[in-house]
Amino acid sequence: MKIPTLSGVRGCVQITVRGEGVNHLINALAEAGIPIWDIRPDSNNETADMKLLLRDFHALRPLLKRTGCRMHVTRRIGLPFRLVKLYKRKFFMAGIAAFFLLLFVLSSLVWNINVVGNEKLATEDILKAAKEEGVRPYQWIFRLKDPDKLSRALSLKLPDASWIGVERKGTTITIQVVEAEKPQKEPLASPRHLVSKSDAVITSIYAEQGRPLVQKNTRVKKGQVLISGILGDGEARSQVVVAKGEVKGLVWHEYQLEVPLVQKRKIYTGERKDKSYLVLGNRAIQLWGYGKEPFAKSETLTERDPLTWRSIALPIGWMTEKVMEVAETKETLQPEEAKKLGLEAAIRDILAKYGNDSQIISQKILHEKRENGKVYMKVLFEVEEKIAEELPIVQSQGE
Amino acid sequence: MTRISRRLRKWTNEVLDLPQDVLLDLPRITLVGNQELTVENHQGVRHFSENKMILSLHQGALEIEGDELMIRAILPQEVMIEGIIRNIKYTGMGESS
Repeated sequence: MKIPTLSGVRGCVQITVRGEGVNHLINALAEAGIPIWDIRPDSNNETADMKLLLRDFHALRPLLKRTGCRMHVTRRIGLPFRLVKLYKRKFFMAGIAAFFLLLFVLSSLVWNINVVGNEKLATEDILKAAKEEGVRPYQWIFRLKDPDKLSRALSLKLPDASWIGVERKGTTITIQVVEAEKPQKEPLASPRHLVSKSDAVITSIYAEQGRPLVQKNTRVKKGQVLISGILGDGEARSQVVVAKGEVKGLVWHEYQLEVPLVQKRKIYTGERKDKSYLVLGNRAIQLWGYGKEPFAKSETLTERDPLTWRSIALPIGWMTEKVMEVAETKETLQPEEAKKLGLEAAIRDILAKYGNDSQIISQKILHEKRENGKVYMKVLFEVEEKIAEELPIVQSQGE
Repeated sequence: MTRISRRLRKWTNEVLDLPQDVLLDLPRITLVGNQELTVENHQGVRHFSENKMILSLHQGALEIEGDELMIRAILPQEVMIEGIIRNIKYTGMGESS
């Protein structure tokens, strides 16, 4: 195509030429190297429309005079004319400029700061440290330091964090924290003895700190000091420490057991009926699940689901009741099975009470009888368990 | 052009196998269907209307007849005409070359 490129940007005019020698004008223009295009003769052959660049408009005049044609502009096309039009609407232009300026200004502000990865460190502390480094909301982005410098400065300010990364994405700054793994602090303990929890025979004693006062196979009474927290002779040179250690001993527990021979059990059959309520204040309006309950025995599970707005429960909500069918089964046990069940329950009880690392050394059924459909037993357990108990040393103030 | 120079040109043309329009100032006409016509080596527009256009050539003229004719673009050596072209005719060629 021979139409000049970007005629829309450079601006062009459409003119109507009137006169005898339109073809002469066209020739003259072509001769002069002025690009014209879309030359369209009028239907009655007196005038012709043509387009030319705004740049060449002034060169047109002498040629018109020479060829005896007259013209008038019919259309102005292109950016220069639009600019002129815009220039007349100054406030509109100012608005456009203000819009872009505002967009630029607002997008060069820090709007959000996110802190990620902190568990023990308080977000407020990190934000405070960041604020001292100039990282705060409504801060200019161009005033921020480089992210690597920021992260170094923040790491110095927050010694509890082993690494801090600062990343900016648009108007949001993300501070990534990796916390230093610190060993757990041991709870502070006051000077103490370790004493026996119950009457026992020592099976093993290991003193980590303090002075062991008993030996293996010694019989101890409840409350007797096993590991003393006082080093020395108790006189002026002695030192008070926190006694630490592990003492195990044999302890006897007597259990009175009774096991019914007929065991009742509840089983959910899986059949279920749901009732739904709309809760308004203190009232609940049942919406679904009308009708008689088809179960002979059932248990009802109620779930409340109030509407919440930011952790405030609103007085409107939803409640569902699940009515679940229950079946009861009876099981008759043999006396041997009942005994076994009872002993197992007793052992579970011992482990729960005296620590999981307790060991049942022996068990002895002292007495056993069946009465009223139950098995009564008296059992003696010999258990090896931890018997140490802490006893703080109270220092007398008066002396 | 004198007779000798014309002879010479014709001779070089035959010997060097060059395209005719280069040496002899003949128009090169490209016609796309009946809608678009490009004429290179024209010598100006002699007549210009909706139904008829006459382009000057080095020798004679080229008459184009049709409907809704328009000049799409014009350059010193080249003109592009659009419209519905019905008839292209050489006139006034005088002596044949």
